[in-house]
Formats: sequence, structure tokens, C-alpha cells
Amino acid sequence: MSTVAGLISGGADIGRTRLFWIGFAVIVLLFLLYPTQTSAFRVSNASFYLLNVPLGLGMALLWGYCGVLSFGHVAYFGIAGYIYGIIAGNMSGNSFGPLAGVAGGLLATGFVAGVFGYFVFYARVQKWIIPILTLVLTLLLETFLGQTAGYQWRVGSVLLGGYNGMTGIPWFQLGGFVFEGYSFYYLVLAVVLACYFGLRMLVNSSFGHVIVAIREDELRTELLGYDIRARQWVVFVLSAVLAGLSGLLYVQWGNYITPSQVGLLQAALPVIWTAVGGTTSLLAVVISTFALNWVTFTLSSQGNQYAMVIIGALLVVTMLFFPRGIVVMLAERLGRLMTRRAAPSQP
Amino acid sequence: MFRLSARLGRNKLGFDRSGFTMDVLPLVLSLLYQFGTSAAFFFLAAVGLIIILGMMNIINLAHGELMMIGAYTATITYHAGVPFWLAVILSFFVAAAFGAVLELLIVRRFYGRELGALVVTWGVSLVLGQGTLLFFGPFMPSIKIPGGSFSFGDFSFSAYWLILVLISLLLILGLWWLYSRTPYGLQAKATMQNAEMAKSLGVRTPRIYALTFSLGAGLAGLSGALLAPTVTIAPFMGQQFVAPAFIIVVVGGAANVIAGAVGSSAILAAIKTPIGMAFGAFSGTVALLLAALIIIRVMPNGISASLQGYFSRRAGGAMR
Amino acid sequence: MVMDPAVAIETQSLNKRFGGVVAAENVNFKVLSGEFRCMIGPNGAGKSTLFAMLCGIESADNGQIFVLGHDVTRMQAFERVKLGVGLTFQTNRAFHGLSVHENLTIPQAAAKLENKEAGQARLEFALDAFELDPNDETKAAELFHNQLQWLEIAMVLTGYPSLILLDEPTAGMASEETLKTAMVLKHLNSTGLTTVVVEHDMAFVKDVAQTVTVLHQGQIFAEGSVADITAHDDVRRVYLGRA
Repeated sequence: MSTVAGLISGGADIGRTRLFWIGFAVIVLLFLLYPTQTSAFRVSNASFYLLNVPLGLGMALLWGYCGVLSFGHVAYFGIAGYIYGIIAGNMSGNSFGPLAGVAGGLLATGFVAGVFGYFVFYARVQKWIIPILTLVLTLLLETFLGQTAGYQWRVGSVLLGGYNGMTGIPWFQLGGFVFEGYSFYYLVLAVVLACYFGLRMLVNSSFGHVIVAIREDELRTELLGYDIRARQWVVFVLSAVLAGLSGLLYVQWGNYITPSQVGLLQAALPVIWTAVGGTTSLLAVVISTFALNWVTFTLSSQGNQYAMVIIGALLVVTMLFFPRGIVVMLAERLGRLMTRRAAPSQP
Repeated sequence: MFRLSARLGRNKLGFDRSGFTMDVLPLVLSLLYQFGTSAAFFFLAAVGLIIILGMMNIINLAHGELMMIGAYTATITYHAGVPFWLAVILSFFVAAAFGAVLELLIVRRFYGRELGALVVTWGVSLVLGQGTLLFFGPFMPSIKIPGGSFSFGDFSFSAYWLILVLISLLLILGLWWLYSRTPYGLQAKATMQNAEMAKSLGVRTPRIYALTFSLGAGLAGLSGALLAPTVTIAPFMGQQFVAPAFIIVVVGGAANVIAGAVGSSAILAAIKTPIGMAFGAFSGTVALLLAALIIIRVMPNGISASLQGYFSRRAGGAMR
Repeated sequence: MVMDPAVAIETQSLNKRFGGVVAAENVNFKVLSGEFRCMIGPNGAGKSTLFAMLCGIESADNGQIFVLGHDVTRMQAFERVKLGVGLTFQTNRAFHGLSVHENLTIPQAAAKLENKEAGQARLEFALDAFELDPNDETKAAELFHNQLQWLEIAMVLTGYPSLILLDEPTAGMASEETLKTAMVLKHLNSTGLTTVVVEHDMAFVKDVAQTVTVLHQGQIFAEGSVADITAHDDVRRVYLGRA
């Protein structure tokens, strides 16, 4: 089971049949062709929905596969975005600026998550403490960033900007080629596919299986000889870096970032995407992240004030009536229909 | 203290004894006041949350919104002519009613699934907060802070905050009385220790859970109403209490509800007061998060569990 | 102190109390390599607590613990398991939400490779005798209780341990299933696997044990062969009842 194909087709995520992969390929093709069929504005919107997927994937990995719930994951989204803005902004003449910004952003999220994770996992705290403390962290981060208005709050030549946030964040470029508009869309698509397949291989590996065992029964897993604290820590840091990746893509998309990105309302969103998709499936969360971002974006751009109430109600309804996730339960239905169609003579 | 100033009074340079008293005593009183009001703030912000956590091992993420509901009840009734203290009492019951409905319809399906309860109560908090914004608009008329302020030396003290400190102490006594002297309290403690056993002994545990959740919600509403005169009353006002409340609860732990709440409030106020005075309020809160991370590293189940362990070890030793 | 390789487990002056309850009092517990030891005693005597302390799930108040030639007193639980210890729990802790296949493959990554040959032989024997198919995708929760117990034993064997601690493995089993369990454990022990079992079923104990340790109120009350123990008046009074 250690070949790439074996790892991708393993059972830790939904969809293994040939029909599934054909459907998958078709959808990827549609995404690739999308920009040719529509306006730049819509492509930009699609980029926005897609760039949140790594954040959703990180949540799914941490919560769904490892059983660790983080309510403040958007903190890493924000940290990466702000750090990129600071580094790339200060190196604006330098063509390596953006790369350094990306590296800095990812390293910063890894570092913060690493320190935070050390305190909670090596203390073997009770399960509910992690969502609470991660939420406190992101709330404090929002408060801190919110009071950074004024010229004295700058790093090098880059202003933090207080509640209005940081603007004029430089585009990401590789050797002079700037990723914006359509090229940015394809960049995001590539990143999303890479993250998805990378994670899919991870959860099908023996590391992934042990992670699931930790979720199922920590004590039993430890008594099989595994250092569960180290593994939870690794998954936590990885999922934080994924959140940071989304943050890096976000500041490309909008060239700005504000403290509200790490605030209470934003913090709820990845939890909702993951719950609605279904914690046990990476693909379901990809779908729900894309779909829910599309819904909220459309609703709020139409001036609809009810967007957050609807989303909150959706979370409550999902937890009450679709505990395994709406997308997962739909997929199960579909799977059952397919097997019934394939073998109608079965009793 | 007075002996010291008396000695200084005999200072050859003719240092004025009353001058010394005028300089240091207000500072000390101010520090005590800051400490006491911080502790009261923390206690009020967290008590409703801890009651529920101690009973059901659930963190109610709609806690901030329940405080908001208390504040809204207070301001609406107050501006309709109801005396402030009556409005506060009403807020308790309105929030408790909300809590009862929440528990019956939603929370009760999540006993045994603590993480699920956290998520679903977060959804409820979104609906309540956003719904309030849509229904009532972004601001509500504020309540003027009752009582006046008085100064002593260079520092001023608010009479209302002193009353809040007093009310906190009364609440602690009240809760202690509730848990140790009433049938509810006895049944609640039994259920907290061992729900199955309590059930088999005739305790109607679903009723205890519902009552406890309502009590926790009511206390949140009460605190919201009490703190309402000190803040802007808006749909998301609960948010400013949520971060400190969570830290209190994490440091306090669920082992002993009252000891955890009181001990945690005291310790965190002791940390926040000097740092807040030296570096500002925000730094004080950051220090709290850092303190919480360190404390849980050493005492993963909170200080109430460590206290309990300490006392039972002593008791065990005495039994030899 | 010199760690004798012939000693699988040794505790020195182990003490543990929970509040007012004495779970272990001055326990000097010693098991030699290759032994089959049974621990019996009334409920609350401290048997599961002793297992928990041996494995590192609970820490002793004071005393020292040596397992498989190492001083493990300060070691984390997973580090002790990696030395070659396997534990099954009093309430079955196979992964109920996962398949039989997953239950049997997950422990592999931490397997003690030095014992690979012997370990694999033991595992295959157990799987065969217990009729467990390592490729079975059935959810563990759908198995019968006795199969779950056997699954947990097989899980533990997947790690190629040198020492296994089984906490009431035959609880809830019918007599035929108990006999089978006894047969498998006896065979495994005969290949050199040190086995310590907590049990209440005296028929089982008489069948398998070489030595029996009787725990009572946290102390080692008596120790000896099965015949000695069942004839011991005090043991009969405390535990077996006059019979």
C-alpha cells in the first residue's frame, strides 16, 4: 500500500471506484476551462472560494481525522497574511520579496502553532480546552491587530493599519511572472489539488491510520507504543500551515488583510465548512468549503444581512440532524444507490 | 502601617506623617480596588460558564450571547421605567428561560459528546448574536452607572464597582449555600460525581441537567445585566467577556465549581492587575493567556483539581 | 541495582492511594521471564491499578518499577510498550469504530522488530485459533463480545511483545470460549511469552497458572502455586469463600 496510486486510492476518504475518478477528472477539467467561459470578475470570485479550501482541509485533518477541535484556526490564516505583507512589503523592489514572504508566513504559522501545540498536547489537557484556548488566541490576535492604527505601528516601511488593516500587499511573483487574475486562479487550483492529493495520501498512510486510532481511543493507541502527543502536535502544526497557506493566497487575491479575518465571525466559518461537509472526508470538506463560500459571498454581496444567521442556523441544523455531515451523508446515499443499481438481483 | 508613618512623623527633616499616609495609602487601596474589581469582573464573567461545565463537562459557547440577553433585558426594562435592581433580577430569569429552552431543544442531545456540544452552541451563539443585530439594530440605549465615584488621594473609585465586588461575594456565598444546603445542590453534586449512580439512587438527572443549565444561563444573564452599565450595549458585547471567561474556566477547571471559579478569578486578577497597570489592559489579557498556558502545563485539570487532590491526600494521610 | 534478564517484572515498595483508598501498599511484585502468573483478588483489591502502574497509565506515589530489564518508573506509557509490553483493558478497548483489518494493522508501525520471528508465529497462531481474518473489513462493533476480547489480544500480539498483561480477558465469555482462550494463552506462554493475567474465573486460573498472586486491599496477600492458594485458609476466607 505504499505506492502513490495505492496511497491515493486508499479507503480513508470517499470515492475509490473508476467511476468516481472519471467524475473527478471531469470536474477538474471543468474548473480548468471555466475562465474561458466567463468574466474575470467571476473567475476572481471562484479563486476566492477555492483559496479557502486549504484552511478547510486543515480543519478536516485536525478535527475529522485526529479528533482535535480548533476554534481559532483563522489565527494562522491571519498570521501568514500579515507576515507576508510585512516581508514582501519591505522587500518590494526585490524580486525575491514575495518568495521570502511566503516562506516567512509559513514559518511564522508553524512556529506559533508549534509553541501553542507544545503547551496543550504535552500537558495532555482535556479535549474541550483546545477549542477554547485556540479561540482565545485568535480573539486576542484580533484585538491586538485592531489597535495598531497609527504610524508608530509599523514594521520597516509597512504599516499594520489597525482596524482598517494592511493594504497594498504585493503580488506573488516567480522570477518576474506575476500571478494575478487568470494566472492566480490557476495557481490556486494547483495548490488546492496538491493539498488535497497530498493529504489524501497522508491519511491513507500508516501515519494517517495511527492518527485515526488516536481519534478513536487515545489511551489504547498510546498503549500500542505510539507517542500520541508528538503525532497530535505534528498534525496540529501541519493543519496550521495549511490555514496559513490559505491566508497567503488570500492576500494575493485582495492585496489587503484586516483584523476581522482573525475575528470571532471568521473563526466560525472553517468549523461550519467542516461540520457541514463531514469531518470524516477530505473531499466532502473541499466541496462544502467551496459551496459555502460561494453561498456566503453571493448572499453578502447582494446586501443580504441574513447571511451569518443562515450560516449559524445551518451549523445548528447540521449538528442536530446531519451529524456525519451533509455532503458525506449525501455521498453515502449516492453510494448505496450505485450499488443497488449495479446489482439489482441482490436481495 | 500607622507605626511606620508615626516613626516618619518623628523624622528630623520634619516629614509630615499625614503626607506619607496620603501618598501610600491611596496607592495601596487603589491596588486592592483594582485587584478586587478585576476579580469580580472575572468571576461575574465566568460563573455561569463554570456552573454548566462542572455539571455537564460542556462549554456553552452561547455564554456571551446569554450575557448580552441579560444586558438587553436590563436596558429595555430599565428604560421602560423599571428600577435598575429589579431589571437586573428580571434579566436573570429571562436568560434562565432562554437557557432552559436551549437545553431542552438542543444541548440535551449532546451529553456525552462534549465537542459536538461546543460546536452546536457556537452555532446558537451566531444565530443569537446576528439575529439580535438584525432585530434590534447595532446599539441599544446605555444604562447610566448607578452610584457615584469618590476619590481618595490621586485615585478615584467607583461606588458601583464596589457594589459589584460585594455582589460577587454574596453570589459566592449563595452558591456555596445552594450546593451544600439545598436538595438541588446535593443532587447536583451527586450527578456531577457519578451520574449513573445518582440516577439509580432516584435522582432525576435530566431535570438536574436542565436546572443547572438554566442556572448557568441565568447567572450569565445576571452578570450581563450587572456589567451592562459599564459597557456599550450592543449585539456582540458578549465577546469582550468571552475571552476572560474562557481563561478563568480553563485555569479553574471543573473539579470543584466554586473553588475553581474563586481561585481562578483571584489568581488571574493578581496577574492582570500589576501587568495591566504597568503595560495597559490588553497586555494584561495577553499575560492571562500566557499564564493559562503555563498553568495548564503544570496542572492540566485546572487548579480546582489540584486543590482537591491536595486536600484528599491530606485527608488520606490522616486516616492512617 | 543489577537488572536480571530473567526477571520480567519487578516492583519495589510500590505505594499508591486515591484519596482515602489504598490501591497499593508496599507491593513487591516479581514475575520471572516466561512465567504464567495469575492475579486474583476481590474487586477493588488493586489489580487493575497495579497493571496501570506497570504500564505507566498511573504513576505510583513512591516505589520503583522494573520491566523487561529497564527501570521504567519515570517512563511514559508508550516508551514502556516499546520495550515489549502488551496490555489489554478490563473493558474492551479494541477500536470499535474501525474494521478488524484496521485493528490488526494499526499496531504494526510500533511493533518490536527484534521479536519479529517469534512474534509473527505467535500472532499467526492466535489469529488462526481465534478465527480472526486480518483482511476482514467488518466493523469491530459488529463482532460478538468474545471475538472483541480476542481481537484486542491479537492487536496486542501484533506488536510482538515479550510480556503481556491481560485484565480479565475471559470476562463475559461462555465456558467453551474461556477454554479456547486458556488454550491459546498457554500455547503462547509455552513459546516464551511472559504472561500475567488478572482473573476471577477460578477454573481458568487452575487451568493456566503456574503461580498465583492474591491481592487484597492493595497488598500482596499471598503468593504461590494454584494448589497452595486454594488450600490457603485465609485466601479462602477473604476471596474464595469457605468451599
